[in-house]
Amino acid sequence: MQKKLEESTALFSKALKLDPNDLTARRYLAANLWQLHRPEEAKRNLVIFLEAEPRDRQSLLLMGMVSEDLKDYATAAKMLASVPDQVRERPESIVALARSYYHLGETAKARETLNALLGHPAGPPGVFLGARIAAEMHDFETAEKLYKAIRSTYPDRAALGYHLALAQYDAQQFGDAQQTLNGLVDAGVRNGELYNLLAWCYQKQHRTDDAVRALEAAIQVAPSEEQNYLDLGKVLLNAGRLPAALETAKRTVAAYPKSERAYLLKGQTEYRLSQFTDAMASCSRAAQLDSSDPQANLGLAMAEAATGKTDMARQAFEAGIKRFPNDAQYHLEYALFLLELGEAGNDVAKVEAEAQLKTSLKLDPSLSEADYQLGNLALTRGRSNEALPYLEAAEKLDPGKSKTHFALARVYRRLGRKQDSAREMALFQKFKNLEGERAAVPSPAGMRHD
Amino acid sequence: MIRLMRRKRVPALAKRWPLWLLPGAAAIACCLLPWQAEPQARAEKDIFSDVTAEAGITWKQFNGESPDRFLIEAMGGGVGFLDFDGDGLLDILFINGGETPRGKSPNPVRNALYRNLGNGRFEDVAAKAGIDRLPFYGMGVAVGDYDNDGFPDLYITGYPASALYHNNRNGTFTDVTDKSGVKNLGRWAASAAWFDYDRDGLLDLVVANYVQFSFSDAKDCEYNGIRTYCEQKAYAGLPLTLYHNNGDGTFTDVSAKSGLQKFVGRALGVVSVDVNDDGWPDLFVARDASPNLLLINNRDGTFHDAALDAEVAYDPDGNAKAGMGVDAGDVNEDGRPDFVVTNFNDEYHSLLVSNRGAFPYDDWTAPSHLAAYTRKFVGWGTHFIDYDNDGHLDLMIVNGHINPVIELSRTDVSYKEPPLLLRNNGKAVFENMKARAGPVFNTHYDARGLAVGDFDNDGDLDVVFTCLKDRPVLLRNNVGQDNPWIGIELVGTKSNRDAIGAKLQLRTGGHQLVRWINGGSSYLSSHDKRVIFGLGGTPAPRAADLEITWPSGKVQHVSGLEPNRYHKVVEPQ
Repeated sequence: MQKKLEESTALFSKALKLDPNDLTARRYLAANLWQLHRPEEAKRNLVIFLEAEPRDRQSLLLMGMVSEDLKDYATAAKMLASVPDQVRERPESIVALARSYYHLGETAKARETLNALLGHPAGPPGVFLGARIAAEMHDFETAEKLYKAIRSTYPDRAALGYHLALAQYDAQQFGDAQQTLNGLVDAGVRNGELYNLLAWCYQKQHRTDDAVRALEAAIQVAPSEEQNYLDLGKVLLNAGRLPAALETAKRTVAAYPKSERAYLLKGQTEYRLSQFTDAMASCSRAAQLDSSDPQANLGLAMAEAATGKTDMARQAFEAGIKRFPNDAQYHLEYALFLLELGEAGNDVAKVEAEAQLKTSLKLDPSLSEADYQLGNLALTRGRSNEALPYLEAAEKLDPGKSKTHFALARVYRRLGRKQDSAREMALFQKFKNLEGERAAVPSPAGMRHD
Repeated sequence: MIRLMRRKRVPALAKRWPLWLLPGAAAIACCLLPWQAEPQARAEKDIFSDVTAEAGITWKQFNGESPDRFLIEAMGGGVGFLDFDGDGLLDILFINGGETPRGKSPNPVRNALYRNLGNGRFEDVAAKAGIDRLPFYGMGVAVGDYDNDGFPDLYITGYPASALYHNNRNGTFTDVTDKSGVKNLGRWAASAAWFDYDRDGLLDLVVANYVQFSFSDAKDCEYNGIRTYCEQKAYAGLPLTLYHNNGDGTFTDVSAKSGLQKFVGRALGVVSVDVNDDGWPDLFVARDASPNLLLINNRDGTFHDAALDAEVAYDPDGNAKAGMGVDAGDVNEDGRPDFVVTNFNDEYHSLLVSNRGAFPYDDWTAPSHLAAYTRKFVGWGTHFIDYDNDGHLDLMIVNGHINPVIELSRTDVSYKEPPLLLRNNGKAVFENMKARAGPVFNTHYDARGLAVGDFDNDGDLDVVFTCLKDRPVLLRNNVGQDNPWIGIELVGTKSNRDAIGAKLQLRTGGHQLVRWINGGSSYLSSHDKRVIFGLGGTPAPRAADLEITWPSGKVQHVSGLEPNRYHKVVEPQ
């Protein structure tokens, strides 16, 4: 098919060289080019064609589709809306128009457009496509409605159920998603993808044991899917079940000895377990397996710092920053390392840390930790007015962090804003208690879990 | 009323001083004025000598270490300097731990009371004194004369009870726990402090209770497959206990009435000092992964916590550090008490300095270099100690990790750790004296309790610290007496006899030094209650003037105090 398309495209091009005014050849050429994923060229030909034939409905439809491909959603919506009958003919054009509306912020029009799929002759597959587009555009309500509309008619119940659950999960309706997935399990559906999503539903509902069981089931039915191992490790890490997380990491490494991600999981777990020398070895192996991954290099630098190999860590951080100059996390972690040195009396390190924090913020303004540290640094230097905007920014980005509220309470106190200080102190206590609950699993004495 | 005191001096020969400092030579050195002593010569002697063996101290701590790894095994024990027999020489009491269900001792677990023989040697008289055996797992000791009879009594903390021993004035003690009502039953008590919170002239008792604990509930924590001690957060904290001294040999538990009962957390260290200079004793409580407390005396029998306002509760990130030991002293010389709190590795031990009494306190940990010196260490006993009598409060800290397998994960942190002697340059900035302090400061220990006192009555502060499962270490100060000093022993009459809570301001040559007689401090330990003012930082003094603010509120002025001797000052009636 592709070959035939390319041959006919060459013929139409030749025809146009012989007669540039051959509009039929130009229209066919444009259609071919669009199918060959060459939208820019398709657009050029359509522009010429539509100048001559501005009311040609098929060309207007095609121009709409091409424009949508080119992310020119305003033109796409305008063109497609001008030929409603043609759009209605195919589910693909309906979803293209709907997607354009979504991008233009016209959600009501997008929903109305997708509703057309419900009675469409294309049947449930068309509705399924529309639902996926709605989900992709984060209109989970419409997606769920469309999925549910074809529950009894869509031929692949497993796929439909999974995507419905995915939309519910994305809509943060974790309980509903879990019910949908459990319905599939009860109906005999078993696959790794399903169990994986089910695990995350449980995880979001703080049902760690169920999440772990679901991921173990995912590993059992899809033993070749590495992601299930990695997710199991992640769930256990998040729950603070560090010995179990380490067991999983070791299984993952055994099953995927060439996987950088497996070693990284092992390294991260060992780091949390304060087995820093082991973490160094794991991260080092991860970095060997994929030297282009900043995470592995960063993990290695952090583990070196944690074992007390300060000079090695500094070199690793600096080399990493040279290699990954645009990795904001790298700059942030290096800054945290330098701040520790600064705390221990190295004033130069403190100044360097400040610069690194500012760089990390420039690269990623959403890093609340960088804002927090800059605020705290200013506070330490007795510059409350300078600290305030940083800390307020940190609070805005991550309002659930107790330490930000603590620092804000201190700043407000210094600025004489007693009520604000009291409010922030209350928030500090609230979030501190929540953090305490999360860290309720005992660890060996003296083991730092950063 | 002042009386010059001729304390018994330990013969200098027992001290193994370098030849040039033997008595005859020492006299010449004195004539040359100590503060003009030749620096090279002074640098040649260690600041402290380990005299444990020559003192005859052979006792070893027993912690009941077991495969169950009960946290209590890693937490003891305490030590106290006290003159229990009133002979003018400081004796030493070591509190032993105890057995655990699977950690049995081949011999009975005993405390040791080492009587100072005055010749540099000590003999263990614990059995004779009736305090060698405890009916519970022992932790620490608070020494105080609760009945004002001139002889120190003992409050020994432990689990699941504590005990009060009354000094019979004949070298023996009687267990008066049941009669007095201070058993603190069911609780794991760590440090305790005698102080007179209601200023009625009788010492009351505050007990820092640690965590809810049971030998039937062994927590299970492993490191790389090796069973080890769980972190403190595995255990819920306990409220503080406050006992009011009724003056008739009994005490009333006023924990609820005073408001202290509501402060639930893992308390380990406590020091009593007048934080806000209102004449009423306050409390600083160091707590382990619970916010520290700064309990201000409301002067009506109750307290309120000002730790948040003072910014001493948490570290700057809002984390409660693993507070163990604590002491108070005027390290920045603004006339108000500052605090040192020992913490875990990576947390740094904290130095919190006052702003001439205004809140918040400044976290002076990094500027003082304490952060740099303590990052690797888990700290326990601590005390401000002007070891060289230069007038500036220096700092001593003993360290030792909890986790025997820590070295598997860290190359920079070790299980056994050296003690620290940090010299104050007069601006609350410390210098680590390890190169000159003596071999002990370059040796690793698993140290816990630390007590300070002048056991040889030579005018400088000596030190003793305990070690887990090991012999304690007794350190003799070799340098303090090189500088002029004035020693003060207060005797309360209207105030409690120990004068705990007194504030002393010494003026000499336009310079003023402020000291307090604190209740508690350090970790599980008790100190010499005499105060030594080091005068080395002042112009050569002939005499000094002292202002004493007694716990009763009475202010007494004493003039013309001669240096280089102890003075006993009795509170005017």
